[in-house]
Amino acid sequence: MYLYVTTSGLNSFFIETGELANFALRFFKEVFKRPFEFKEFLRQCYNMGNRSLLLVGVTGFIIGLVFTLQSRPKMIELGAVAWLPSMVSISIIREIGPIITALICAGRIGSGIGAELGAMRVTEQIDAMDVSGTNPFKFLVVTRILATTLMIPILVIMSDAVALFGSFLIENFKGDVSFTLYFDEVFRALTYSDLIPSTIKTFFFGFAIGLVGCYKGYYCKHGTAGVGLTANAAVVEASMVVFIIDFASVLITDIFYSI
Amino acid sequence: MDKSLNKVLKLGIFIIVGTILFIAGVYFIGEKQNMFGNTYNIYAVFNNINGLKPGNNVRYSGINVGTVKEIVMVSDTVIVVKIAIVKEITKHIKTDAKCAITSDGLVGSMIINILPGHKSEMNIAKGDTIRSFTRIRTEEMLQTLSVTNENAALLTGELLAITKEISAGKGIVGSMLKDTLLTKDLREIVHHLKITSKASSSTINQLNKILTSIDKKDNLVGMLRDTSVANKVKNIITNVEKSSRELDKVIDHLDLTIHNANQTITNVKDGKGAINYLSNDPSLVTKIDQTIGHLDSTVIQINNAGEKLNENLEALKNTWLLRKYFKNQEKEKEGN
Repeated sequence: MYLYVTTSGLNSFFIETGELANFALRFFKEVFKRPFEFKEFLRQCYNMGNRSLLLVGVTGFIIGLVFTLQSRPKMIELGAVAWLPSMVSISIIREIGPIITALICAGRIGSGIGAELGAMRVTEQIDAMDVSGTNPFKFLVVTRILATTLMIPILVIMSDAVALFGSFLIENFKGDVSFTLYFDEVFRALTYSDLIPSTIKTFFFGFAIGLVGCYKGYYCKHGTAGVGLTANAAVVEASMVVFIIDFASVLITDIFYSI
Repeated sequence: MDKSLNKVLKLGIFIIVGTILFIAGVYFIGEKQNMFGNTYNIYAVFNNINGLKPGNNVRYSGINVGTVKEIVMVSDTVIVVKIAIVKEITKHIKTDAKCAITSDGLVGSMIINILPGHKSEMNIAKGDTIRSFTRIRTEEMLQTLSVTNENAALLTGELLAITKEISAGKGIVGSMLKDTLLTKDLREIVHHLKITSKASSSTINQLNKILTSIDKKDNLVGMLRDTSVANKVKNIITNVEKSSRELDKVIDHLDLTIHNANQTITNVKDGKGAINYLSNDPSLVTKIDQTIGHLDSTVIQINNAGEKLNENLEALKNTWLLRKYFKNQEKEKEGN
């Protein structure tokens, strides 16, 4: 029985992975085909980008504040408080900014997409679109995946900037560090090997969040109860995929930049 | 404004702000690595770069003036480091400047530190190679420390042996620590030394007073220090020298005279003259005494005869024959 469950679980995992890969392949096939749903794409960009900005900004700001506040006493103890801007900036730009923003977006955008498409699926709106001659995949999926792929990096950049500003405020209040000095230290510590790989990986984060959310919603089952499960599964799976991509990106970056 | 257009506008602003932030980040990072500024490439050769990496800072007099561009290993002992230096700084770096790879702080990343040159008048130019020197590395310092530790261990062992001997009362130091009589003697010596030093101190004070008074001119030494007095003394000494030379001559004459006198005396002693007789014959004294006695009686007789003669003359003056003659003589005396 246990073996059957395990085999069944593994099978379903591989099946889902295969279906997700097919879904991605279909996306790449559809993305370059006309007609381009540009208006829907812009609407999705606005929903995912602008409307997530406040949440992402506040989170980033608090992360910057808290991270600096938590690190500062230990750095003072070590006599390395002057290195705080360098340490905070590298941590935020390389890892904390992208991963926190991606997780928040996975929660907000991934679940939103899953729930929206799931609801459309269970109410047969997607089928109706198909019948009416509109390509639902192109209209619903391609636009959303493209929007998340392009908006997440911008959200991450803004989150990084706000987090660094939050860190600066703490340094300014606690250590009388000027704006110029703080950001001079920040950019002196950073290199392209910090900024470029972390920015590139955010495109993959965005793509993964959109892909998982759309996949889960597009193939939603079990009626309205399934919508909630789909939203939940979209968040969980998107978060997992984000971590896997993050791990892979760090490995690849290590090969190219020897971090 | 249309609602959808408003959304698009907001989206545009969002995308542009995000893009500007990203470009600004790229620019500032690049600027710190001197990617966009006007830079010159110069070279430095090392035999060990101690973990230096491309992108590490280059400092000149403590200012960040460039970055490490490239590191090329030419041979097993020659590593060429390509350095990008800000163009404006090159006019301050002389050709005799030297560079070394140092650590930025105790646990910081490696940096190239350019030390200014002073002798050269020429500034470095594009493509120049500046001299380098290798600082003592941690491993070398540890090796030296290891040798020092071994020596310290040996010294400690020997010190331990010495301390044991001292504790056992061996040797002079041990005796000093253990022997109570010696301690007593030493205390006495110290006591006497104290007394002596006190006496010495007072003596030195007196000597100081004397030396101070010597400087004044109200005493003999002070006067001697005066140049005029010294000149006078010099003259006196010259005169004394002259006098002594004259005295020498006189003494020579005296010697001769004494010699002659000695000869004369010898002659007198040996001879049979009146002097020899006078000095050597004792009977002569007796004779002379007798003669003097005779002379005394003779003189008495003469005196008596003189008195009688005076009486006779007085009698003659009163005689009429010779009265006139005596009167004339008295008149002549009065006339003179």
